[in-house]
Order: sequence, then C-alpha cells, then structure tokens
Amino acid sequence: MHVCVSTFACLYYSLSNVSLGVYQPCLPRLHCVCVFVTRLKKKGEMGKLDLIQTLSGHEGRVWNVCWHPQGNTLASCGEDKTIRLWFKEGSKWVNKDILTEGHQRTIREVAWSSCGNYLASASFDATTGIWDKKGGQFDCISSLEGHENEVKSVAWSKSGQLLSTCSRDKSVWIWEVIEDEYECAAVLNAHTQDVKKVVWHPHLDILASASYDNTAKLFKEDVADNDWICIATLSSHTSTVWSLAFDHSGTRLATCSDDCTVKIWQEYLSNNSEGIVTPDNNPVWKCVCTLSGYHTRAIYDISWCHKTHLLATACGDDAIRIFKEAEDSEKHTPTFILLATCANAHTQDVNAVAWNPSVPGLLASASDDGEVKLWQYEDN
Amino acid sequence: MSSHFSSVLQLTDLDDFITPSQECIKPVKIEKTQVGTGAKIKIQEDGGYVQVEEGGRERQLKKVEISLADCLACSGCITSAESVLISQQSQTELTRIFQETKSLHEAGQGDQAKLIIVSLSVQPILSLASYYQLPVDEAAQRLTGYFKQLGANMVVNMNIADDFALLENQVEFIERFRAAENKENGKLPMLTSSCPGWVCYAEKTHGQFILPYIAKTKSPQQIMGSLIKTYLSSQLKRSPNDIYHVTVMPCYDKKLEASRQDFFNEKLQSHDVDCVITGIELQSMLESSGLKLSEVDSASVDWPWSEKKPLDKEIWGHRGSPSGGYADHVFLHAAKELIGQDLSDVHYRTLRNPDFKEVILEKDGNVVLRFAIANGFRNIQNLVQKIKRKKCDYHFVEVMACPSGCINGGAQLRPENASAPKELIAKLETMYADLPALSPAENTMVKELYNHWLGGSTSDKKTAMLHTDYHAVEKMNTALNIKW
Amino acid sequence: MGFDDLENINPKLYRKCNDREVTTEEESDDIYDEFDAREIFDLIRGINDPEHPLTLEELNVVKQNDVCVDNKNNEIKVLFTPTIPHCSMATLIGLSIRVQLLRSLPPRFKICVQIYPGTHASEEAINKQLADKERVAAALENNDLIACINDCIVVD
Repeated sequence: MHVCVSTFACLYYSLSNVSLGVYQPCLPRLHCVCVFVTRLKKKGEMGKLDLIQTLSGHEGRVWNVCWHPQGNTLASCGEDKTIRLWFKEGSKWVNKDILTEGHQRTIREVAWSSCGNYLASASFDATTGIWDKKGGQFDCISSLEGHENEVKSVAWSKSGQLLSTCSRDKSVWIWEVIEDEYECAAVLNAHTQDVKKVVWHPHLDILASASYDNTAKLFKEDVADNDWICIATLSSHTSTVWSLAFDHSGTRLATCSDDCTVKIWQEYLSNNSEGIVTPDNNPVWKCVCTLSGYHTRAIYDISWCHKTHLLATACGDDAIRIFKEAEDSEKHTPTFILLATCANAHTQDVNAVAWNPSVPGLLASASDDGEVKLWQYEDN
Repeated sequence: MSSHFSSVLQLTDLDDFITPSQECIKPVKIEKTQVGTGAKIKIQEDGGYVQVEEGGRERQLKKVEISLADCLACSGCITSAESVLISQQSQTELTRIFQETKSLHEAGQGDQAKLIIVSLSVQPILSLASYYQLPVDEAAQRLTGYFKQLGANMVVNMNIADDFALLENQVEFIERFRAAENKENGKLPMLTSSCPGWVCYAEKTHGQFILPYIAKTKSPQQIMGSLIKTYLSSQLKRSPNDIYHVTVMPCYDKKLEASRQDFFNEKLQSHDVDCVITGIELQSMLESSGLKLSEVDSASVDWPWSEKKPLDKEIWGHRGSPSGGYADHVFLHAAKELIGQDLSDVHYRTLRNPDFKEVILEKDGNVVLRFAIANGFRNIQNLVQKIKRKKCDYHFVEVMACPSGCINGGAQLRPENASAPKELIAKLETMYADLPALSPAENTMVKELYNHWLGGSTSDKKTAMLHTDYHAVEKMNTALNIKW
Repeated sequence: MGFDDLENINPKLYRKCNDREVTTEEESDDIYDEFDAREIFDLIRGINDPEHPLTLEELNVVKQNDVCVDNKNNEIKVLFTPTIPHCSMATLIGLSIRVQLLRSLPPRFKICVQIYPGTHASEEAINKQLADKERVAAALENNDLIACINDCIVVD
C-alpha cells in the first residue's frame, strides 16, 4: 500500500491530454536527421574494421574495457563482478588474471593510472576499488567510500595525483592521491541528475563529466581556496549524454548521447580571434559539429584516438562506427566523415570502445553479449 | 532555484528526475474496510481528487500532507521541491499567527492570543546588516521593530543559549577525555552537534557508527527552546503551548532540527521552537510589504532575564569561529582543566583547504591536545572516513556542513553581485570578529539559571533541558519506496 | 498524519480475454514461427499490480493492441496505461514489464516499454528512466526491488 504525496499545493492536470494518444508503431527513431552536406568521399576516406579476436570469459554483460597506457594489457569488467586482464602471447590475447572479491555488485568501469601501476574500478556497490600490483599480483588495496549509490565512472588525471568518480547520487568527486591515501578534495553537485561518465583532459587538471541531465560539464580547481568549480556547461544534446572523449590536444571534446548523435565541441580561450565572448575569462566550449543520422539507437561510448585521430562509437544498435575529420575540414566548422560501419559487431548493444594507445587502429569493444572483441581498422 | 539547505542535505537529495507529484512516497498501512468495486477516482479541474462511489456519491479525497518530522524519519531524501514548500510554509505560517493574534486583540479577546516570542541568532543579523548596510546593533533594533510591528510580544537575542551550549560542550569534552584516558567508553574525537545538517547526515548515512562521537549537548536553538518554553513560560505564568516561539536562523536545516520529535512535548502538544525563519525569508517578507529594513522603526531587543545584561549591546559574539567558537572555547578550557595551561590565544594551522584547520597543544614535546575545525561536506567526508579507518587522532572537531561555517549558512542573504560570494563571506567574518565578544563564564544570568532553574550543573533537569539524543535512521527497504 | 486514502482504492476492472488458441503449425517444432503481439501480451498480462491483487490485464494497464512486434528489426514495443495519471507505481509497473520481457525473450530483441502517450503526468521522465539500461541493470541488483518485482511477475 502506498500513498502518493504531493508536495505541490495544486496538482493541475489537463484531462484533455489523457483521451487520445496516437499509437506509434516501433520504427527507428526518426528524429535523427542528417545535418550535413553530403559530398563524394575522397581517397583515404573509406576504411574497414577487421575482427582480430573475440575474448570470451565474462559471464553476462561486459560494461567496459580499458587499455594499459603501454597498450600491452587490456582490462575488462562487467556484470559478473570481475575484472579480467588480457595479455598478448604470441599473436593471441589471453586472459591471464581474473580479479575478484573487490566488489559486491556490477563493476561498471575500470581505469588504468597513467603510470600503469594502478587500476581503479567503479562499481554499482557504491565503492571505487584501487588495485595495485605491488606483490606481483593485483590486489584491491583501498575501497573508496562516500558515494551514496552506484558509481558509474572513474578516471585518473594525467599526473596520477587526482582521481575522479561520479555516481547516480548526481555528484562528481575529486580525490587527491597522497602516498596511497585517497582524500576527498571536492564534491561537485553541478549536475541535476545521474552522472554517467568522467574523463580528464589529456594534459591539464581539467575534468569533463557527462550526465543524464543532457549536459556535459567541465571543472577545474580554483587555486584561491582549493575548491573545484564548474567552468563550462555543454548543452545541446536532447537526452542523456553517455560518454565523452577529448582529442589529443585537449582543445576538442566529442560527446555521445541517447539522442543518437555525436557532437564535437571546440574550446575558445579568452581573447580568441573569432570574437567569441568568454565570461570570467574561462574558456568557452561551442558545438561545432553534430553527427546525426548515422546511429539508430543510443550511443553508449566514444573513443578518440590520440595517434590516428579516429573516432569510434559504441551503439545500442549493435554496431561500431568509425569517423574522422575530413582533410579539407575547417577548424571552426569541421566536417567529419563516416569511414566505416561494422553492423552487428556484437549480437547485442555495444557498451564500450577503446583505441589502443600504442598500436594505431587497434580497437577493443565490449558488449551486452558477454564478449570483448579486438578489431583492426585499415584504410581502404 | 538554488536550495537553501546545506550542501550535505543536498547531497542526500535523491529525488532523481521524478517530478514533484511523484517525489515522495510514504508507505502506510491501510486498513481495508470495504471490498467494493466500481468506485472511481476523478481528478477535478482544480487538481482536487474526488472519489465517485457506486451510486454516484462523490467524496472529496483529502490531500496527503508530509511534515518535516516525516522527512526526518525517512531515509529517502530532502528534496528541492520540499525546500520550496518549507519556505512557503514558514512565511505563511508566521503571517497567519501574527494575523490571528492581531484579530483576537482587536476583538477584545487578547487573553486567548498566543504570546509570540522571537529569538535572534547572530549570523542572520550580520547578514541582514550587511545587505541593508546598517550597523549590527541597528539592524538588530530595526528587525526587533519589524517583529513588534507584526505583533511579536518579545524579541530576545540567543546569546544566552550560545553560552549554555559552549559551557556544556566544555564540560562534556572533559568528561569524555577523562573517560577515554581511563579506557572507559568515552568516544573521542568529540564532534560538535550544533549543525543540524551534519547531524541529519550522520543519522541517515552513518548511523550508529558515528552518532556516539557527536556531543550530547543541544544546539543553541534548542537550548533557547527549552529556556523559553520551560523557564520563561513559568516566569511569565503561561503554559508552554500558549507561547509561540520563533527563531531567526542562518539555514533551513534548523527547520528540520526544530521539528525533531526530541524537541516536542507530547503532553502539551508544544514544540520548543514553533517556527524557524531565515534571513532570505525575512528579506522576501520585507520586500513583499514594500519595506526596507533600514526604514522600519527601531525597538530595543528585550532582556527578560533577572540578572543585568552583561554588555550594553543588542547582540554580541564569542571568540573563535563565526559558527559559535566551539573549538576555541573547548580548547582553552581543556588546556586549563586538563593540562593546567592558561592560554590566551588559539593558533590554527590551515591544512588541505581553508575549511579544514587544526590546532595542537604540546607538552614536553608531546601533543596533548589536537583539535580541528572541519567545514563543508568534503572535509566532513574525510573526517568520517578517517574515524572509520581508525586513523583520526583528533580529540575534538567543530563540524559544520556549510563551507566557512554558519556565517555562510544556506539561507543567509546572497550577495547582490552574484559573482562575489567569497568577498561577502570575508566581510561577514570580519563583522563577526568585530563584534564585542563575551566569555560564557562572564554571563551571570547563565550562572543564575544553572543554580535556580536547573538545580546545579549535574542535575537530571540539566540533562533534560540541555542535552539530547540521536537516532540512526534505518534505511527503508520497502520496494515501493526505492528510487532507482 | 491522515493517510486515509489509497491512491486508487477501487479501480475499474476489466474482463480478461480468452486463452490464445494454439494452432497445429505452432505446435510443430519444424516450423519456424515468429513472435506476434499476442504472444508478447500473454507474457505480461498476468503480471500483478504492485498494490492490487489484480493483474495488469484486469486493470487494463496492458492491452494486446498496445504491443508492437517487429521481428525483422528485432524490436518489441509495449505501451502501458497507468490507472491514474499520478500513479507513483508507474515506474515499478514499467520495470516489471521490462524485466518479464528481458527474462522471457531471446536477447536479440531490443525492448522498449513506455507509458501510453498522454496517460501519466511524468510520462517523459518515466519513459527516460525505463529506457536507461544502466539504471535498469542497477535496479535489478537491488534485492528489495527485485523481490517486489518477482512478486508482481509470479503468476499464481
């Protein structure tokens, strides 16, 4: 038995809305309209994605994959509450380690520190695990508590001095790493909903987050009082922003969303020659390109290769797609071209994609079908 | 709209996307009296619900209401929608009471009217003084004038309750410290209890684990409640439920505190504090009647106590932090009582951020006292985690949910220039530091009350009047209530 | 506190439809037959309402006409109609339908469970939450919630 408690004195409800809803058959979402001028593709603007190997082992959905910064190890995690580490032996990737007993519930994401010595894991059990290989084997050396419920994402800053986590409790946390101790440096309540993803700028201590509130936000430390502040809000998506990725320079950001689009954002510093106004001298991020019409379902992840500059997307329509900025693209009105679509890359939703940091074109993907796959992208 | 709760309560805000009509579900057992079919519920155009029974008889359904006490008992959330509600409730409630009293007086039935007593805490006075660019004492006088004009019978300052709170914290700390030395169960560090945002967070999130560390001493607001509803009411020969007690406070969390069951006299159906009003609400009340505080007629703040007023001022402060100076007072007292050192000053060292400071006392090269002030959620978080991991070596921590403490309470007036909140905090801190400071021991009225009202400093009555308890809130796990 | 009313204490009841007739072709394992709306409806019509001892079919929350199956694209869409526009159980009902379909259907299907347009005050918000597979996955790891859903799904 329950009672619905109204907190508003007046619950106005128009009865005319109730009567006749028009039944809509289930068609692919039609609001994905291509906003680009299509042009003929030039040489080098086509490619293909070849499957190298399927990595089986996880039981149930695989949520995330992450490459070791040297590119020689892949970590994957999922519904089975384990982290699996895959190493290359000869020409084959094999599962050497299974890390268990770190979490009580689904492991949503794993992240290697940039030094490669630590692994962090974000779990639905509201904790973040820190794994260290001191004794030759990975052990969970700390469990960071504080979030009220599911931790959705975890990321290390380039320096390794900062760690960030985000959760359904709507908060983004910044942790300072001091000699294997993790202290909370900030709790950021800028988002109004579930925060899905956090990523650090490739060189600077600037954090980007993506949320169910349809926005992405950027944060940096206010040196005056060691507090972190939101310096930019990226609003344009019309539904959940699932993930985001910086390019190699950190001046561009790609976001992907439940609204079936990818958006490219360009940073404009104060006193920019384009005359874009920058309040408080904080950089402004403007959406300079929208990739719509390509994806037919929610896009769950995006990876921007810092070597090849290729963009890969993981989509709920089971496909992986590869994009690249056209060679004749303008900086402030860039054009991105779809180079390859791998339809049915998996038999169910693709949840994550990650470019290998050292081998150009090597891509890992994770899916609801329980598999991790390795792909090689080749220009045609 | 921005919430006027402390950031700690905002974090527990798990209303998710759900719109206010769905915000809060309170499961209740319903005794089914009839098993019938055919009755329907209709929604009327004005939003009211009507049940149409068989035969066409219509019955207006009562709107379910949720009280702050329900909020406290629920492990769910404090929602932003409720903050709207609370703010409206307090203002309309206050206006209603004042009008009711006025019309009773006008009808010649003044003997049936409630006696309205307003208690002023120092932080909102500073906030209003700064906003309306008035000297502090003048702001207190004009605010008093405003309340009198509305129909208040008495306006008093809360300094006397602050003094009780500081003295009780000192005594409690010494007891805990000695008990810990003798390996009895004196839980250290002792954490202050005057911030209801922090207490609420501890009760809902950390439960029995952290509550034993929190000081048993009531907050100044609730000590004031006991003082008004027990002592002053008997002096005035009025029943407690005959007095309507309003407090002027720096944050909304104080409203939650006032509605705790612990501070409700069931027999007399009387709350120690009936209504909490904050700086921003006062500003909006003034504005809605086209008034500026600087234009309201002044009146002196009342001093209903038998002993002489210790300072010729309307309102004063205490040494130390603008949250009430708990760390300062307890540190100085402990240095004297426990270590035998008479210190004149307390020097804090800023740690990781300006909201986390510590002060230590060394004797023969050993640290004998280690105190800290932790403000804001991130520092509370680190403190709690340190205690959990048994790595916290503090003896005493002054804990406030808001960064910069109570001077920056969630319902203090916002700066007109929205980009300068830090400048405003700095200004208010300076204003607080410039207030005349009184040592609680110098307040002869407090001594008088210990002797004659409480019957000494160890009596049961003292415990009842000045101490309280905390209750871990069980996580509700009825599926109907789970937000996912 | 006067909680003297259940949201919808006496909802209107509807007649259950007849059992589906099974054709000989369907009984034959040699013939590959596709899912149709009736089969999907049969999976969900027996789900109990969280607060009434009645099924979603009896309450007219689900109807066969509001089930759409696209075998070619592996898509199934179910629209449900809460009994009243402020029903706070709507998300739980939607989740129960979703869970029942996730458990019963081959994983290739993309399942979409939504409020029938115009029948709930928080329609958009509820649809968004039901479509968020991460939120659904997390909800299904909550033992109290899953116990409640199992109670709804179990057909006695």
